[in-house]
Amino acid sequence: MILLNLGMLMVPPIIIWYIHGHRQKDERSARKRIVWYAIWFLVVNGGSYAVSYARGVKGFSFRDMTLSYRVKYFTVGCILALLISFVILVKDRVILGVKRLVEDVHRFAIDMRKYFKYSVRLAKADLKTEVANSYLDWLWWLIEPFCMMLIYSFVYGVVFRTSEQYFTAFIFIGLTAWSFFQRNVSSSVNMVRYSKDVISRIYIPKYILLFSKMLVNGFKTLISFGIVGIMMIAYRVDITINILYIVPILIDLFLVSFAVGVVFMHYGVFVRDLSYIIDIVLQMLMFMTGTFYSLSNRVPAPYGEILEKVNPVAYLIAAMRDVLLYGKGASWLMLLVWAGISIIVLMLGISKIYRNENSYVKVV
Amino acid sequence: MGRKKREGKQGNAIEVRDVSIHYKLFDNITIRHSLFRKHKKEDVFEAVKHVSFSVKEGGILGIIGKNGSGKSTLLRSIAGVFSPNSGTIDLKGHSVALMALGIGFKNTLTGRENIILSGMLLGFTEKEMMDRLQNIIDFAEIGSFIDKPVSTYSSGMHSKLAFSITAMLETDIMLVDEVLSVGDEHFRLKSLAKMKELIEDKNRTVIIVSHSIDMLREMCDEVLWLHDGEIKEIGEPVEVLSHYAAFMTR
Repeated sequence: MILLNLGMLMVPPIIIWYIHGHRQKDERSARKRIVWYAIWFLVVNGGSYAVSYARGVKGFSFRDMTLSYRVKYFTVGCILALLISFVILVKDRVILGVKRLVEDVHRFAIDMRKYFKYSVRLAKADLKTEVANSYLDWLWWLIEPFCMMLIYSFVYGVVFRTSEQYFTAFIFIGLTAWSFFQRNVSSSVNMVRYSKDVISRIYIPKYILLFSKMLVNGFKTLISFGIVGIMMIAYRVDITINILYIVPILIDLFLVSFAVGVVFMHYGVFVRDLSYIIDIVLQMLMFMTGTFYSLSNRVPAPYGEILEKVNPVAYLIAAMRDVLLYGKGASWLMLLVWAGISIIVLMLGISKIYRNENSYVKVV
Repeated sequence: MGRKKREGKQGNAIEVRDVSIHYKLFDNITIRHSLFRKHKKEDVFEAVKHVSFSVKEGGILGIIGKNGSGKSTLLRSIAGVFSPNSGTIDLKGHSVALMALGIGFKNTLTGRENIILSGMLLGFTEKEMMDRLQNIIDFAEIGSFIDKPVSTYSSGMHSKLAFSITAMLETDIMLVDEVLSVGDEHFRLKSLAKMKELIEDKNRTVIIVSHSIDMLREMCDEVLWLHDGEIKEIGEPVEVLSHYAAFMTR
């Protein structure tokens, strides 16, 4: 019995003690080893006790302990020990990774300042050529989304009889926001390959290409929102102060698209057929984002809400409609959460690009 | 003023230390390949192996070697297109431009936009580029095509414009990759003259990659012979070039 008690308490710390000692190549003195063992003993058993306390076992008496409790306690101790040793083993890499990330973020700030003018100029030039190469000039930027809206409101409004208040504007908002996201993501996949001419002659941070493209798409999106404004006037929508929420919502949409785009930009270089998958996934997402219907009203009870919560674009579209059409406010918390997640993903993506952009030129 | 100071110093403008560059040969990664093929060990091709050299302020270095010996890779690395896998390249803060055929143009944009954008990537501001724009357009002699998309250009016009941009921007360091004969006879003579003028400017440091032995002998202070990514010989043009010629005709 005593053996069992001792084993339960003593064995798990041995795991860490051994691994930790091995890592330091046994250059420690005997006294230090004992001290370390004591430390790990306290840490592991403290952890296990905390777990069992949280599970409802408040006291700790060896007498009325069941075998199953002992086994559980022992297992928890082992898991804790393995976890801690894992952290010890990768500690240096974790620290290194964080250090690199900080460096990359710093570099991102510098590069962004340096190349911002370039990307704006490139975006302007792109817009200009688009105008120059078509008969109806910039009118297309109005005609295209407008026609799309007619198609979708016919299909969903007349054929399927879905209906929401201010239906045309409702669809138009969804469509505009979604196409902004979709265009950026699908163009990001082949961005590096299509810019081969430029990047094989001169250095440019590769995400600048995407950023510039996003400025182009963003400009068109703003025009579409101009149309939304006209619709709101035509519908005589009650305009409230909540309309100002549209600014943070649009910033969020930009961040989300940029983050997702940067990640796919990197993988698109190495995986040639990624664009097919992306197209399929985007198509699927379009229907799950509630572009033509309200997710929370149309999809059966728990799923609609869930879809709206886990999909940032769906959430942002719903928020845009609330803010612009229905005079409701948006939740600052959700906006901040999505902005935060996007920024983290963006930074990881940027760091990934910095680490790998050297080989992009050689692959494409 | 600044230039004179630098001239007096007579330091190195480019220092390349122990540079290696390798390519991973994983060309066709598709999802089918990665799922249904056993993982092969990545083939690594070493294009440049442990190369070290330096070029003096205002010096002219020629690089010669057979095809595929890593000359262009090395040059692109000095231009900063990608950084070397190991070793360092120190340009001492000089501005650098790579002059190569088919310079990075965006095909859908007009020549004029491309001039400005290329310049901005090379570190010039929008205003500086506006000032130089007319010079470049005049030199390129491509007439009204300057306002047409680059995709409509003939290959001659393309290279004329590319040459003009790098020639008129006058960066401290100029890297030349086999562009000594562009366009028709008239433009060829003109560009050759301009090139000589640029190269012979005592303030400009130049690296020329070429297969033309005569031209390198005439222009360079020093010649580097690259063979399979390694330095075979570096030194006096006459000596290195005659060894190279003997090696190639063997």
